[in-house]
Amino acid sequence: MRTTKTLRLIVACLLLVSLAAPAQKRKYGNAKTTPKPAVPVPVVAAIDTDGLKSLVTKPRERPLLVNFWATFCDPCREEFPDLVKIDKDYRPQSLDFVTVSLDDVTDIKTEVPKFLEAMKATMPAYLLDVTDPEPAIKLMDPRWSGALPATFLYNEKGEEVFKHYGRVDPAELRTAIEKLVKKGDGQ
Amino acid sequence: MKLRNLSILLVLVFVIAGAALAGEVPAPPAIGSTIEEFSLPDVDGTEHSLKSLAGKNGTVLLFIAVQCPVSNAYNERMEKLAEDYKAKGIAVIGINANVAEDAAAVKAHAAEHKLAFPILKDPGNKIADKLGASVTPEAYFLDANNKLLYHGRIDNSRNAAQVETSDLRNALDSALGGKSIEKTEAKAFGCTIKRA
Repeated sequence: MRTTKTLRLIVACLLLVSLAAPAQKRKYGNAKTTPKPAVPVPVVAAIDTDGLKSLVTKPRERPLLVNFWATFCDPCREEFPDLVKIDKDYRPQSLDFVTVSLDDVTDIKTEVPKFLEAMKATMPAYLLDVTDPEPAIKLMDPRWSGALPATFLYNEKGEEVFKHYGRVDPAELRTAIEKLVKKGDGQ
Repeated sequence: MKLRNLSILLVLVFVIAGAALAGEVPAPPAIGSTIEEFSLPDVDGTEHSLKSLAGKNGTVLLFIAVQCPVSNAYNERMEKLAEDYKAKGIAVIGINANVAEDAAAVKAHAAEHKLAFPILKDPGNKIADKLGASVTPEAYFLDANNKLLYHGRIDNSRNAAQVETSDLRNALDSALGGKSIEKTEAKAFGCTIKRA
């Protein structure tokens, strides 16, 4: 009698364990495929040439830094951590900073936000959604070849005060920003 | 006088060295200028002169890459361009100037994507510097006398379905038809050439 009771108890335990195991596995599997993001996934907005023109030329209260980049551009990826630091140091108090990706529009919800998230980048992000990038390139600077990355800094009047093609020297960029922002605003 | 010449020379050396250190791409030659003869090795190491590969009616030099998604988006279009204009006497030559992409990688990539036009390796990116090439893909069209007639993009979009302006083909067709080329320069868009 005691043996039968013990046997039933063991069988019940085994059943419980066997039922719980796949559930745990499923839970682990789900957790792996859909991790809960620590910070919101960056939203990348599409922008066309007119939108870019409006963004660059509209009157503003603060200087504007614009960085053109793409996920397929190695020097862009390399300089991004420096830009994120600059963004954190200046944007809260004294600088507007936007990035414009020249990736394919099909990457607007995938590769581009994925990279920005990995970089912990929180500045407003755009993707140039045009069939022909030439007018946008010429709008920024007729002499710009279109090679990435490219960085432009404008003062409050919308005048270009700094530009750099290729990986930017963060110290050089900070110096240019410091000349525009009020003393003590940056860190 | 000698001291003055030496000073000028030193200034020039510093300017050139400064530009090189800053990673600046030299300015491309002006449209209408003559491109000097050069030779580069192919993916098997055999040297080829521009003259030996040039077409009787002109030559297209295409700076291309193995890993660049923009350049790769043009693989079929570049091969079609080479096929279409071979019969018309215009040769297409690919040039890979990316330091990180060796000849073996270029050869494997050409085989994988069925690129039949000759592809040369530009070690030390000497020709890319000479032509001021900064991205891939970037095209240069030379006439039979190596005069630069067109420089820039192949067309307006990396997405073949969105092509509205085939700038390079328009330039080739105009030259073949004996007409002046309407648009001699168009901004090339693509991946930055990784220089040595």
